[in-house]
Amino acid sequence: MTERKLEERQKRDGLVRLQTGIPGLDEMIEGGFPFPSVVLLSGSAGTGKTTFCLKYLCEGAKKGEQGLFFTTLSEPTQWMLRYASQFDFINKDYFGDQIRYMDLGNMMREMDANQLLVAMEEKIAEVMPQRIVIDPITVVGGMLKGDYRLFLFDLFNRLKNWNATTLVTGEVNPGELYPAEVSYAVDGIILVMLSEEAGARRKYLEVLKMRGTNHQTGKQSIDITRSEGIVVLKARF
Amino acid sequence: MNAKDEKQMLDILGAFEKRGFKGAIIFDVPATHFVRVNLMLLRGLSQERGLPGIFISVDRPHQYMVHLLSMHQIKAEHLIFIDAISRFSADFKVANANVGFVDGPFRIDRLPMAMNEWIKGCNGQSLNLGNGGFAIIDNLSALLTYNSFNSVQTFLQNFIQTLHSSGNMIVPLMMDSEKSGLLYETARSMCEVEIRFKDILSDELPEIGQNKLEINCAKG
Repeated sequence: MTERKLEERQKRDGLVRLQTGIPGLDEMIEGGFPFPSVVLLSGSAGTGKTTFCLKYLCEGAKKGEQGLFFTTLSEPTQWMLRYASQFDFINKDYFGDQIRYMDLGNMMREMDANQLLVAMEEKIAEVMPQRIVIDPITVVGGMLKGDYRLFLFDLFNRLKNWNATTLVTGEVNPGELYPAEVSYAVDGIILVMLSEEAGARRKYLEVLKMRGTNHQTGKQSIDITRSEGIVVLKARF
Repeated sequence: MNAKDEKQMLDILGAFEKRGFKGAIIFDVPATHFVRVNLMLLRGLSQERGLPGIFISVDRPHQYMVHLLSMHQIKAEHLIFIDAISRFSADFKVANANVGFVDGPFRIDRLPMAMNEWIKGCNGQSLNLGNGGFAIIDNLSALLTYNSFNSVQTFLQNFIQTLHSSGNMIVPLMMDSEKSGLLYETARSMCEVEIRFKDILSDELPEIGQNKLEINCAKG
């Protein structure tokens, strides 16, 4: 085989990808998130960030992958799971086994950046997840003792070296696109947003950045359904 | 490691012993499960069987595997790490291990030489390979990020030859046949045995107990 043909074959072999399980999204990003990578999911309150994360972890669990959900200071795990259980795609058998969680809220009150990093790595080494969620990452900056940017650099670098694809959520104010300090350190950015049109608030999703991926651009309508969670509507028609 | 991992690890060891597998063995594993299967192999070969081994880090710094071994209480006193990626990783994670560094993943032609130095004790701590041993690369496909296909192919031939001449070594080569098809086929042609993990790791299949290690004769 010639060198050129070899290179072509190698390129076809391509990156390993993890399907998100979000109907319509995987088609926009060449089949899923690159593995390993860190992807920022940014949006204001009520845009479906946590629902997105849960679907992502459940999709992995369905494929025999391990998931780890770090909650920070958004809502206690107890309440998150209670509301999440209303979705049909949630298989309760996954939780506590194939999807594990760790509440970082209390640790963030007491630990410095390095201690928090160590605590998170201990959990990752124990669980060995392919999929990790940190929901939300943005509150960490306000509470952490130490350099937030350095913490993000070290954290994201290590998450990839642990061989996982991590979804971090970023809370933004209405009209704001993404938290700038997080955006520099991630491999992908997905925006979920609300827009008022003809007296109704509609939801949209946009892939702003996805390294190593020829992704679709532009805002796509989304819906949140009880059966599937977030659905990219354009893909249905 | 969970009960399922332990069972699979014992299945592999059983297959090694029952069938007397030595030399290069190709493992077809989903790319997302390399870490888990590496850990299973290290637990089996290093702790359970007490074999000395070499672990070559190409994909990520060796500190991560050291951390995993420690977290999962896997003893690996006779394990030596050769790290070809740390110097490019901007990672300051600390780990306590016997480790040698090579310049980087671009210089894979130097890897067999670095291994030989360790095997012959040039670094003050030689590996006693009298009763066999093993060598694992984490992972072979990652070499293609930094080297041409032909270089990796040549390296693979030298690598297997070096280990073959060093004694009765087990050389598990882990790859995802779906993601690295060409390299997989090339490596497969150099191996005596193929072990496919694809089906075993999936929970979508029926009862796990019904699945078996699919062991094929690789050459020919």
